[in-house]
Amino acid sequence: MAPSVRSGRRYTAPRVALLALAVVGVLISAYLTWTHFAGLTPVCTGSGEGCQTVQSSRYASLLGIPVAVLGLVAYGGLVFSVAVWAEIGIFLSFLISLVGTLFSVYLTYLEVFIIGALCQWCLASAVIMVAALVCATLAVLPLLRAR
Amino acid sequence: MDKNSTLRSPRTLLALLVAVAIIVATLLVVLSQLGGGGGSGGDVGEMYAGIPQKGTTLGDGDAPVTLYLYEDFQCPFCGQFDREMFPDLLDDYVRDGEVKVVAETMAFLGPDSVTAARAAFAAAEQDRYWPYHSLLFENQGEENSGYVTDDFLRGLAEDTPGLDVKKWEDARAGESFTRELEAVQAKAQSEGVNSTPTLIFEGPGGQVKIDRLTDYDQITSAVDKADGS
Repeated sequence: MAPSVRSGRRYTAPRVALLALAVVGVLISAYLTWTHFAGLTPVCTGSGEGCQTVQSSRYASLLGIPVAVLGLVAYGGLVFSVAVWAEIGIFLSFLISLVGTLFSVYLTYLEVFIIGALCQWCLASAVIMVAALVCATLAVLPLLRAR
Repeated sequence: MDKNSTLRSPRTLLALLVAVAIIVATLLVVLSQLGGGGGSGGDVGEMYAGIPQKGTTLGDGDAPVTLYLYEDFQCPFCGQFDREMFPDLLDDYVRDGEVKVVAETMAFLGPDSVTAARAAFAAAEQDRYWPYHSLLFENQGEENSGYVTDDFLRGLAEDTPGLDVKKWEDARAGESFTRELEAVQAKAQSEGVNSTPTLIFEGPGGQVKIDRLTDYDQITSAVDKADGS
C-alpha cells in the first residue's frame, strides 16, 4: 500500500476532530473578545465574579492586545491549517497548538495562583487547546514514521 | 509521502517546531509579565512625576476642568480603567494642567473596600494618595477574598515613592476616615452615582458624566465638552 494512501486515512480522524475543536475555540475566543471590547462581563456559572476578575485583571492584555484576541488568532490559524492540511498544514497545526498549550498552562497558573479566580471560558479554551495538540500530534506521527 | 514536499526531514522540522514553540511561548510569558508587572514603585513614581498632588487631588489646582473620579478599590472595572486608561489620561490632560482629578473613594463592595480606602486616605495625609491608589489597583485581587491584609497594604506602602511608612501606619491607626467615606457616599447619592467607575467632568462648558466607560474616546470628548471647546 502506498504510504500516502495509508497516511491519508490516518489523517482523517485527527483532521475532523481538530476542525471541530478549532471552531469551538474560535467561538469562545470571539465571545470573550466581544465582551472585552463591549465592556461586558462574560456569562459565567456561579456568581460570575471569577470571569469578571480574570477578564479585567492586568494579565488580560498583552502589549495592549486582549488575550482573547490572541486566542482568536490562534484558533483561526488552526482552522487555516486544517483547511490547508498536507504536510505544511499538519506541522502548522502542531506548532500553533503547542504554543497555545504552553501559553494556556501559564494562563491557568495565573488564574489559580496569582489572580485567585477562575474563568470557565478560559479553562474550556485551555482544555480545547490541549486536545488540539493531541490531535495535531496524532497527525504528525505518521509523517515521521513514513520517512 | 508527498514527493513535492519541501520538507527534507520531518524529524528535524518537528524538533525545530518544538524549539520555535518554546521560544514563542516564553516570549509571550515575558511580555505578559512585563505588562502585568507594571505596579512597581519605580513605575508609579514615573507615572506621577511632575504632577502636583495634594490630599486626594491630583494636578494643577487652577486646571479649568475637574474630574471627580468615583471608584471602589475592589471594583474590577475600576482596576481595568486605572491600568489601561488612567495613565493616558494623566499624560494627555493632567500633566499639562488642563484637568485635575479629585478622588471620590467609595467603599460599597465589602469590608476589604473599606480597609483599602482607609489605607489610601492615610497615604493622602502625606499627599501620596495617587501612587498608592495605582498600586492598589495594580495588585487588585478577587473581590472580598480577603486579599486586603495588613501585610498587603504595608507592602504597597513600602513601594510607594516618597511615603513615610511609619507616619502612614500612625495615620491608619489613629484615624478611621469614616467622615471622608461618608462624605463621598453622600455626594455620590446627590450626583446619582450608583456604579463604579463613574467619571464626572466639570468645567466652563458644563458637566459631563460617564458611568459606562468602554472607550478612551469618551474621555476625550467629555474633556472637550467640559472645557467648552
